[in-house]
Amino acid sequence: MANTLRLYLTCIRNTLEAAMCLQNFPCQEVERHNKPEVELKTSLELLLNPVLICRNEAEKCLIESSINSIRISMKVKQADELENILAKKFLRFLSMRAEAFQVLRRKPVQGYDISFLITNYHCEDMHKHKLIDFIVQFMEDIDKEISELKLSVNTRGRLVATEFLKQFI
Amino acid sequence: MAAVAVHQFAQCITCHAWSPDRTMVAFCPNNNEVHIYKFIKDRWEKLHVLYKHDQIISGIDWSMRSNKIVTVSHDRNSYVWNQEASEWVPTLVILRLNRAALCVQWSPKENKFAVGSGAKTVCVCYYEQENNWWVSKLIRKKHNSSVTGVAWHPNNILLATTSTDGKCRVFSTFIKGVDPRDSSAGSSNELKFGEQIAQLDLSFTWAFGVKWSPSGNTLAYAGHNSMIYFIEDVESSPSAQTIAFRDLPLRDVLFVSERMLIGVGFDCNPLVFAADETGLWSSVKFLDEKKTAQSSSKYGSQFSEAFGKLYGQSKHGASNDTVEPSRPRGGAHENCITCIVPLRKGGETVVKRFSTSGRS
Repeated sequence: MANTLRLYLTCIRNTLEAAMCLQNFPCQEVERHNKPEVELKTSLELLLNPVLICRNEAEKCLIESSINSIRISMKVKQADELENILAKKFLRFLSMRAEAFQVLRRKPVQGYDISFLITNYHCEDMHKHKLIDFIVQFMEDIDKEISELKLSVNTRGRLVATEFLKQFI
Repeated sequence: MAAVAVHQFAQCITCHAWSPDRTMVAFCPNNNEVHIYKFIKDRWEKLHVLYKHDQIISGIDWSMRSNKIVTVSHDRNSYVWNQEASEWVPTLVILRLNRAALCVQWSPKENKFAVGSGAKTVCVCYYEQENNWWVSKLIRKKHNSSVTGVAWHPNNILLATTSTDGKCRVFSTFIKGVDPRDSSAGSSNELKFGEQIAQLDLSFTWAFGVKWSPSGNTLAYAGHNSMIYFIEDVESSPSAQTIAFRDLPLRDVLFVSERMLIGVGFDCNPLVFAADETGLWSSVKFLDEKKTAQSSSKYGSQFSEAFGKLYGQSKHGASNDTVEPSRPRGGAHENCITCIVPLRKGGETVVKRFSTSGRS
């Protein structure tokens, strides 16, 4: 189990290293503007081929890149209904506070749970390898967080139920 | 052997250029100003700051003989700065562009300069004596996408451009009244301005960093697919060599001599390419040896200094003894290197020193 996670993360890391070669590029469509090309998708020659890395049917990662920006969308593992709800709520909590993260996108791309948007300005301010470390670390931690949350929900539910039903004994 | 020095000027340098006597350097620290620093005694001191542009300055070139600086910016404007007394006076150049300008270079004779832009055009400007201003002529409709790099052939007429549509094109920029009509040389018959002489379709990805070799025989440019292309004899019968290397793509290249080329890019490390006697190019090595890993992650290069470095090198050419005083500079880049500029005295054909600037 841990093995496949390592491989998955290494693959994503290598892809990100190659894809995160961004540079400042002014908009071709509108004068004096500078927009992330991966979001606009107006000039097809400025976009690169999107790469989809799947760990299994439930977990995958889509990396779309362009000349000045890169968008990384992830779908986290959701085994049952409870994990579904937990993941949704947790990631929504993070996305609402996207300002603090800077590279997080407020709404995930259709079909995925969470998305990051990294532009050349982020690469100028922060080290590229640190950004990649952050993304990979995030992916590792998400799984752990959701499992922990599920565990604590179950524990709490058990405690509450025990206490409640004691009165009927 | 390579001695390297680091100078920290700003967090992120977009582009830079050296003065003819190589004591001053002009660069843009990722905003709309041009900073000029002079090397006095053993420190760099900020001499001037040129404010005129509204947006980030994407290209600077300092002419060797006439001591003029040309700057182009994302706000579609270009200024030619002349030094009068101790002030730099700007002259606006009407480029007639409707998108940002991306790169600029003075022609070898310095009577023209070329600007590549996001408007899919190349602008060649020359000085008109009668009206005392710079006039521009556009090469339109030939490019399918933004022009990312321009390079002049030593004969002052041919111009090579690279674009984000993956093609490298060579144009003739003969302008009546500015260029002498050279019937004895008889090189190219198409002397019309904007005539496309060759189109090189070797790369499927964006192309950057085009340069001619010092004799004008070889043309080299880098593609975003981590390949570098060498083309010989562009005018008559182009023959191409491509080298694919396993590292991240290059952003800019520089011919150090007829047979040696340095490429810089996203790898934070300059890469040397050399040609042997038969003309076959191959990649030789990185100029910065990697230090043994100080931290767990091994990506990118060494983590020696903090931000913003201007880095110059002195290389000892194989056949010449160096006469110039050694100016040791040293260090390493931590982020992508965007621009490489030769530090050469007028009249030299072999570049012994160059400087690179980047986004760290």
